Amino acid sequence: MMVGVRLTRGLYERAVADLRRPHPYAFERVGFFSARMGNASHGHRLVLLTDYHAVPDDQYVKDPKCGARINSDSIRAAMQRVLDTGAGAFHVHVHEHPGTPRFSPMDAEETPRVVTGLRVVGPFQPHGMLLFSEDRAAALVWLPGVPEPLKANKIAVVGFPLTFLEGA
Amino acid sequence: MGEDRFDRQSFLGAGSQPVIERAVVGVMGLGGGGSHVVQQLAHVGFLRYVIYDPDVVEESNLNRLVGATESDVREKTPKVEVAKRVAFGLRSEAIVEAYTQRWQENPEPLRACDILFGCLDGFGERRELEAASRRYLIPLIDIGMDIHRVGDEPPRMGGQIILSMPGGPCMFCLGFLNERTLAREGERYGDAGARPQVIWPNGVLASTAVGVAVDLLTDWTQSLRSAVYMEYDGNRGTLRQHARLQYLREGACPHYPAAAVGDVVLL
Repeated sequence: MMVGVRLTRGLYERAVADLRRPHPYAFERVGFFSARMGNASHGHRLVLLTDYHAVPDDQYVKDPKCGARINSDSIRAAMQRVLDTGAGAFHVHVHEHPGTPRFSPMDAEETPRVVTGLRVVGPFQPHGMLLFSEDRAAALVWLPGVPEPLKANKIAVVGFPLTFLEGA
Repeated sequence: MGEDRFDRQSFLGAGSQPVIERAVVGVMGLGGGGSHVVQQLAHVGFLRYVIYDPDVVEESNLNRLVGATESDVREKTPKVEVAKRVAFGLRSEAIVEAYTQRWQENPEPLRACDILFGCLDGFGERRELEAASRRYLIPLIDIGMDIHRVGDEPPRMGGQIILSMPGGPCMFCLGFLNERTLAREGERYGDAGARPQVIWPNGVLASTAVGVAVDLLTDWTQSLRSAVYMEYDGNRGTLRQHARLQYLREGACPHYPAAAVGDVVLL
């Protein structure tokens, strides 16, 4: 199954600008995208990102073992947004290097737990985790009704220019 | 095939050809405009196509339909088959999804496209395609031409190229679509005969549209940063930015809100 992720350049730039802001004590920032589903032909699925939500400074937990850890208030807020808007939620952060980014072992272990909670309140929406580098991106997508996450095959920033962040 | 096939367009950038080959392009309507677009996309090296047109080749198409022959008229060849022949003739490894129907009858393949070319007749058709392109976050490049006659003056030939970018101004914002033009849809579209069409303005419009798409993907000019609305004056042979671009209001498009994307789901 092919999975594509699309977002407008304005939304991409807004998110990245927020995620690159220094935090008083965390080493990096995280945020959440709202997402909606689009079905194309031949089993092609589209995840369309519609909005970005920053995590407030006071919802970060001091943890020197990782770049950023957020508290339960931020996760509850993300779950509430899913309920209020009917849109899915994607956890997002940035790794500051060029080339295809990889989720860290901690990302791979902890973020899926957040997604599990999101899927409980939004079983009919797409959820997942998204990681930007300086010029690429990677995403794992949990589609409605599909138990295991799928790697996004194409992540498109729609604007001037039109850029494919994933792959080459 | 030689290894230097795209050497002459290497100025587009070192990574441009893989990007061009990765993009899925949709062409809606394969008449005078769309047939030109497909031919040029194939020359540029695009590999993945989704094309729609419900019609077969008729005698009256031969004055402008690129790739069509007299035998296509006799055999009632679908226009999508002519376009496939042109695309495969230039790139045998092309992947072409061809639909002999209106896109509205089978819209899902269109959603997988990265760029759409609207080569359609009429304002209502344009409104529907733009609504779909916005809902699935796909840039839409619309082309069209018309010929008008006013009094005893020579016919006036005009046309447009519009790049409608999700998140940016739409064809309503640009003033190309409005309630008045849509209401006039039922009236005659031109007055120099039934649907006046000739090949040379379609060539200008299609070439410019393909150029916009290549720039969008490769950013070779590093200057394409906002909506495109160009007007073509076929009597003078000029193409220039439309004056309405100067009067665009700041801010998000009010006609297609950012949250109104994706499949409609009743929760």
